[in-house]
Amino acid sequence: MRQLPLVFLILNSYSLFAQNKSDHSIINSKSLYDRIEFKASYTGNILWNQGITIGAEYLWRQKAYEKKKKRGTKLITHQYVLQSEIGFTFMPATQTDTGLLTSLGLIWRRTNPKGKQISIGINPIGLYRSILPEVYEVKGDDVQKKTLAGRIYYAPSLTFGFGKFRKNKALSGRYFNFNFGIRTPYNASILPTFTVSYGYRFKF
Amino acid sequence: MKHLMTLGLKIFLVLLVAIQVISCSDSENISNLEDTLIVRHKGADMPAYIYGNGSEKVFLIILHGGPGGYGLSYRYGTIKSEIEKTCAVVYFDQRGSGMSQGTYSKDGINVDIMAEDVLALVKVIQHKYGDDAKFFLMGHSWGGTLGPATLLKDQHVFKGWIDIDGVHDQKGLYLEYINFFTIVANEQIALENNIEFWNGVLNLVDKVDANTYSDRDFHDLNSKAYEGESILTNDNIIDKGDYDGDVFFKYNLFTRLWNLLTIHTILNDNGLHDELTYTNRLSEITIPALVLWGRHDLVVPPKFGQEAYDLLGSSSKKLVFFEKSGHAPMFNQPHLFADEVIEFINQNK
Repeated sequence: MRQLPLVFLILNSYSLFAQNKSDHSIINSKSLYDRIEFKASYTGNILWNQGITIGAEYLWRQKAYEKKKKRGTKLITHQYVLQSEIGFTFMPATQTDTGLLTSLGLIWRRTNPKGKQISIGINPIGLYRSILPEVYEVKGDDVQKKTLAGRIYYAPSLTFGFGKFRKNKALSGRYFNFNFGIRTPYNASILPTFTVSYGYRFKF
Repeated sequence: MKHLMTLGLKIFLVLLVAIQVISCSDSENISNLEDTLIVRHKGADMPAYIYGNGSEKVFLIILHGGPGGYGLSYRYGTIKSEIEKTCAVVYFDQRGSGMSQGTYSKDGINVDIMAEDVLALVKVIQHKYGDDAKFFLMGHSWGGTLGPATLLKDQHVFKGWIDIDGVHDQKGLYLEYINFFTIVANEQIALENNIEFWNGVLNLVDKVDANTYSDRDFHDLNSKAYEGESILTNDNIIDKGDYDGDVFFKYNLFTRLWNLLTIHTILNDNGLHDELTYTNRLSEITIPALVLWGRHDLVVPPKFGQEAYDLLGSSSKKLVFFEKSGHAPMFNQPHLFADEVIEFINQNK
């Protein structure tokens, strides 16, 4: 299941192409390597859950335009980026909200000439797989201990974030995102979730 | 590519270590248990946090209030400092409550299934600690609804039932609010305590429909009950307890509140407060019983404590009114509470 986002990214990479000019050298490149960045971040809600996510971003489309100002022109870049992530989140106090997560989606990102970025992401494909500590399943009078028991929830999400593009640096960008999601079906309905992410983008 | 593989290997190792930490974190010292078990039953995964002295294999299962409360909210005061030295205390997050999770439909939440969950918990503890484990069941508030529901399914696995300000008669609560609020408000006005507030209570009682149950009126009365207890505490009629619980980091606040809202709504829509009652079946409960009640409980008025004591079919039963307590005597008069519970367990274990 965890390979799905990567497969999706690779399949899409052959059908997509770059557009327009940019201050990024990668814009006219059709090379998969040039268009892919990796990322790693802390993801959690600080108080209860701590986690780490790693992922990849594929630059799907980019459009740059000049905005006329009194003191000259500003080059604004809009990017559409396909992204996928996998992660692990841990509840240290009781381990009752620990699990693996994965998401796949699209990010719109605006970069100003100073490299400051804002982004909005939508991840319609997301899964959360809980990992519970010591589970005993009861069916009638039969009790069985389960190993690495958990449940899989559909977990789409939305993100809003700020960041900084770091030109010609190994760590090519940093970001801080607010993530709003749901897990469903959770108990008898859904569970809204809220996390923050702080991380870096990089290339190997 | 080599770097990518190295990174992948490192991540795999980190995950592996993390998973090992998760599965090995429980204490195996039975005289000082610190276990977290998950009971998987009928679509739900429900945590049971077990703390205390399990050397005699005596387990006190606490059914929290709500519906939608959470187990570890009771791990404070003398429950933690005294009762846990006597026996192992099981703090159970009921279906749809606390950090419980799972996948089931709205039909998967009702009192019958929740009572079966408690019996499933008993089976899990027997499976882990042995068939010679002995159980006491203690229910507070809504736990006093779930307790009788459980005992009426199978009471023979329990050595005793401890009812703390429990609602065995959800259906009768609405009318008793009206009766008891009137009595307490008039008493407090006569004592010239917070006259404005208690006149407000009388106005509310006049306003609600005394003949027909109304959800909205019920929730107004229920909210006023908590407010009233706060006023009685400020007037030193109810003892102010010291809360020394440390649950903040053990429950994601958003998850806990969301679950509270969800399960309360579902059970309420299914007629919890206007249909459910075990009054006529309390006589079928025959195991030893201890009924503990706050004399000034406005949330579940003392009439229900007397009624529970009178109607329980147990040949060995005791009723204790805590004269300086409201809805939570374990909080208001913790030492007296622990003395009564420990004595009851020692007599019947």
